[in-house]
Amino acid sequence: MSLQILVLAALDGIAYGALVFLVAVGMTLVFGVMRILNVAHGSFYALGAYAAASLGIAMAGMGLSPWLAFPMFIVAAAVVGITVGGLMERFLLQRIYGYEETLQLLVTFAVFMMLENVQRLVWGVQPYFYSDPLRQLGNVNVAGITYTAYQTLFLPLVALAVLFGLRFFLRYTLAGSVIVAVTEDREAATAIGINARRVFFLTFVIGVTLASLGGALASPTTSVLPGMGAEMIVLSFAVAATAGLGQIEGAAIAALLIGLGRSMAVFFAPEFEVVMPYLIMVLVLLIRPEGLFGKTTARKI
Amino acid sequence: MLDLKNLHVSIASTPILRGVNLTVGHGETVAFVGRNGAGKTTTLRATMGLVASTGDIVLDGRAIDKVPAHERPGLGIGYAPEDRRLFSAFTVEENIRLPARVANLSGDETKRRLDRVYSILPELKEMGPRPAGSVSGGQGKMVALGRALMLGTKLVLLDEPFQGLAPVLANRYAEALRALRDQDRSLSLIITESNPGLLKSFAERIVTIERGEIQQSELVEAVH
Repeated sequence: MSLQILVLAALDGIAYGALVFLVAVGMTLVFGVMRILNVAHGSFYALGAYAAASLGIAMAGMGLSPWLAFPMFIVAAAVVGITVGGLMERFLLQRIYGYEETLQLLVTFAVFMMLENVQRLVWGVQPYFYSDPLRQLGNVNVAGITYTAYQTLFLPLVALAVLFGLRFFLRYTLAGSVIVAVTEDREAATAIGINARRVFFLTFVIGVTLASLGGALASPTTSVLPGMGAEMIVLSFAVAATAGLGQIEGAAIAALLIGLGRSMAVFFAPEFEVVMPYLIMVLVLLIRPEGLFGKTTARKI
Repeated sequence: MLDLKNLHVSIASTPILRGVNLTVGHGETVAFVGRNGAGKTTTLRATMGLVASTGDIVLDGRAIDKVPAHERPGLGIGYAPEDRRLFSAFTVEENIRLPARVANLSGDETKRRLDRVYSILPELKEMGPRPAGSVSGGQGKMVALGRALMLGTKLVLLDEPFQGLAPVLANRYAEALRALRDQDRSLSLIITESNPGLLKSFAERIVTIERGEIQQSELVEAVH
């Protein structure tokens, strides 16, 4: 085992962990506020990736500057989050808030199945690949390893910006404060004039936009193809469960842990690649059933 | 001020309120007494729209039973629930200020209301920077009262404010309520309590509820 391979695995794991964090933090935010485990969350990752890859390829075809890809990622994620996420919350989830968790889970699973097929219908089954932003940022040398700056610097920086941005938003803005208030006590929040339904809408749109952003940012690093959403939602569940559902900082650490664990397995024990995130999750939950940072509460599901 | 007419509430098919009729006048303080489970809390929650009800809820001549729950505090109703229910992620002052921020009150108006709260409960000013999760049960009740007063300009509903309070704090709380009434003679108060003796010193009327129905409404020959 050389040091270079270790560095390579670490860089790979950090980049992957950054993407997983974006998706998982959105899911954990939605769960924390709305108490709904959204199985369709991974579909927003896939939709974000497809939207970004399609727009990126179209922009390249029009001869536009590849630098425009970076703001485009944010726009693509926001459009997917606000339109698809907004419609899902407004016309579907709002009707089932009063129902039991099993039904809510099944409804979001049904949406996941539908969105998976919508992707096949719109984009087909051929993989999309859009790597211009990766080339645009060039490479960096870390301990003798040449790696893309996009994955070494850009993705972790975006993940950190989202982590601190989200914390700032929740702590210092009115919209963030009402989200925190509804998370803690929906009835007490309503009794001081907070419209919990509007908070649910806002939270859901933010949550799925973060998943879409994860997908958009992942598109230059991977082939965009059917099934990528399913893989990501399972990993997000693993991250959220490892962290403790509803824990934002915990999701960052768990995503890093699982990202690193997975990439170490890829390089040093490839047969454990798929199972590694769940091994980490199981180990953590065996020792701390409420997750690394979770608080003990009544069981939801 | 507030008229509840034939108010019915059922939870999981079990009737909790069975035709409650209650009128509270301008500036009147009503002690709403009854045993645990009699329907006191449910009456207050129904007034706030936090539980589905049938019947009429009229505030200042306006039917508000169709007004969404989150819009009712904006009509001038403050509510302090039984178990404090402060937001532990915020400081005491942030808890008190939050209703004003949500209602989008101007800086001047927020300051005016905050001054009113601090004049009645000066101890809240000192507690301001403390995390709300760190205050004691009794102090938490004071904070919950302060928070309710930020929007409760016409009517304040206090659910079992004295429950679990040490005698010293209960006296202090009662003193604050007297100060509140002296300061604002037009403010109406409904205070639920299992032990009516505590409220005799400043309530004008004692209304008794039993098994979801109003049993008795009597005027108090009070000290004021």
